[in-house]
Amino acid sequence: MVFQILAFLLLIYGGYLSIHIGTSIPTFACPYNQECPGTCYLISVQHQAHNTWASLFGFRGKAFLISLLSFVLLFIVINKAWCGYVCPLGTIQDWITKLRNRMGISFSRYDDLSFKRLKAIKYVLLVLLLFIPLGMSNSIFGLPLFSHDLGAPFCQICPGRVITPLFIGDTSQLFIDFTNTTTMIMSSLGIIVLAMFLIGSFFKKRFFCFFCPMSALHYLFSRFSMLRLIKNGDNCTKCGNCYRVCDVGIKAIAEDIEHSYMVKDDCMMCFKCIEACPENDCLKVSFLTMPVFKSTEEGFFSRNLHLNSEMQKPSKTIIEDE
Amino acid sequence: MNKNENKRYERLSAKSKGQLIIESENVLQEMQQKFENTIPGMEYFYDVAKQYAGGQLKNPERKKYIATNCIQVPIELIYAANALPIRICSGAYSMSQAGAGLLPAKSCSLVNATLGTIYTNSFPLAQKPLTIITPTTCDQKKKLSEIPSGIDIPFYTLEMPPSKDSEEAQEYWYRSVKKLKGELERITGNRITRSKLKKAIIKVAQAQRAFRHFHQLRKEEAVIRGTDAILIANTFFYDNIDTWTSHLVSLNAELEMRKSRDHNGSESRYPRILLTGSPSIFPNLKLPIMIEKMGGSIVADEFCSSNRLLYDTVAVDEWNMYDMVPALSDRYLKACTCPCFTPNNDRERKILAYIKDFKVDGVVYQSFSGCQLYELESLRISAVLEKENVPMLYVETDYSPDDKGQLATRTEAFIESIKNNL
Ligand code: SF4
Ligand code: SF4
Ligand code: SF4
Repeated sequence: MVFQILAFLLLIYGGYLSIHIGTSIPTFACPYNQECPGTCYLISVQHQAHNTWASLFGFRGKAFLISLLSFVLLFIVINKAWCGYVCPLGTIQDWITKLRNRMGISFSRYDDLSFKRLKAIKYVLLVLLLFIPLGMSNSIFGLPLFSHDLGAPFCQICPGRVITPLFIGDTSQLFIDFTNTTTMIMSSLGIIVLAMFLIGSFFKKRFFCFFCPMSALHYLFSRFSMLRLIKNGDNCTKCGNCYRVCDVGIKAIAEDIEHSYMVKDDCMMCFKCIEACPENDCLKVSFLTMPVFKSTEEGFFSRNLHLNSEMQKPSKTIIEDE
Repeated sequence: MNKNENKRYERLSAKSKGQLIIESENVLQEMQQKFENTIPGMEYFYDVAKQYAGGQLKNPERKKYIATNCIQVPIELIYAANALPIRICSGAYSMSQAGAGLLPAKSCSLVNATLGTIYTNSFPLAQKPLTIITPTTCDQKKKLSEIPSGIDIPFYTLEMPPSKDSEEAQEYWYRSVKKLKGELERITGNRITRSKLKKAIIKVAQAQRAFRHFHQLRKEEAVIRGTDAILIANTFFYDNIDTWTSHLVSLNAELEMRKSRDHNGSESRYPRILLTGSPSIFPNLKLPIMIEKMGGSIVADEFCSSNRLLYDTVAVDEWNMYDMVPALSDRYLKACTCPCFTPNNDRERKILAYIKDFKVDGVVYQSFSGCQLYELESLRISAVLEKENVPMLYVETDYSPDDKGQLATRTEAFIESIKNNL
């Protein structure tokens, strides 16, 4: 939690402190925010894809590879914990969720079928995001070159472009660009997506994450990561606690008792599931092979119900009388 | 009822109640005396069991109470409605005789005894319950409410899905529980508020925590007799929950001490037995007592009336009604290993896990005659155990003491055969 806020502050306001952390930061360290200390990898990759095939395999290709490599390196270390702990857009969604919870308004979940269908969208977005810039310099399947106003196409519709600058009081991204049809369509799409982001994440926890192309891109490298979410299915009673608290609603975390690597493509490694699991050593996060955090029975009772270890009285009153 | 019938009913009721007391006292005596080395912390639980049999449970606040017919009833809701849940599934032979006349000949003892309890008005409290909640777990229980017997207490049928894994089944159950919440509010006249439900969930979680600690303690060594463990769980419904919990906490502390004390030396190894199948409910502790008399040590059981009773937990993400009620429903559905669900491979997974964790040498499977679900599942379980090379004794029995001799011979032979292979 604290870490999440620090990361948020760093990625939104870092520029004030002249912090610059490179151009391969995964996501939504958005350069449209003037004070952002780094650049979202999605913008780099889109720019780099905007090259002719020839150069992609030549010198420019090297730049592409280098930035891909540094992106991958970050993921090798922290895996998708980026999403659970660092990404500013994730943090904003968590705040919206908190607000809704305070207001006592129920959240919604997808049913199994919609879940399965909708989760594909992020891959479609990822492909488009690479394909459109490529199509600006290369004719793909004999199509005419795409308009250059489609540069960094995902950014044009990404809610991060509009929201993150707002936190430094910059509203300049909150407009529709009437230069020509393409810019008009793209910038209006951007505003629509923003509205969906705000409304969606109010009713559905981590609404945007489910469609996030970054999440799709991460997942491609997830298996090779040092940070892993591991399950020991033998200790699992299928009680469903982990699924209940999972903000993205991953059912497999409770129902899959066969696989041990549990980072699914929608997982954001927030580890709430580990906190909610009452079985000793059933779920754990490990770095390389060292366990960092494990589910325990004691931990379950103290974390979720605030029962401390010696006495049977609640250690903290979490019951406010009405 | 005419006058004659009335008289006959009065006589039956009085006789059954009298027999229940005698029967219970015999069992308690057997438990306390036939074995040496009783744990002082057990006194309380014996006491509660005695009061239960005599129909003298304490209810100092004179709360309204709701009778439950199965552990699938979410008791947190009942507490939150400011009432007491009292489980009335009965283990009394006297009651099964009283109920047998009302049901078809092949009904199971537990169902007979439960109906007998209701029919003869032998509730553990002086008053009558407001309502009797019966989950649709087995066909016989489900039909209890429709047996013409002149019972004037309303039944409430809590609808359960026949499966637990599918989305549809889970949705069905959420709605069932939500409906129960409304019904309870109507019946008790008390509103179930957010903070009351939260308190109730935490209150039960405290009991669960103590119970899980107890469960863990039994894993390493046989710190307590399995028969006592079953009785402890049985008494959960018969006293104020906080009182019960605090007694279990102090018993746990006692057991911790015994554990460290007994650990040095004396490696007398008793065959470690896992009991599963139709639940043994006080005073029907015939089989567990028999096993332990014959030198077996019941280290764990997979009974809905004991080990399964308080094990599964509630995890709430947002402490609002909309999340608390489904979270509560989950506790009663998802990890449940009741044979009423199909598929039910979680049951064999649990049994295998217990065998590993509790270092079990052999399994005793109890089926009450007429209890189809447990009879049916015994086939699958015995096949699984055979594959794992774990010996299993299948026992079909009921509440009557008639088969004690035959049971003794069979359990003795089973335990001896395990001993020979230790
Ligand atoms: S899924 Fe995308 S928006 Fe969500 S936290 Fe991860 S990178 Fe951020
Ligand atoms: S599976 Fe666990 S770590 Fe992944 S998103 Fe869900 S709760 Fe978080
Ligand atoms: S919370 Fe733990 S025991 Fe329960 S389903 Fe999830 S992993 Fe399994």
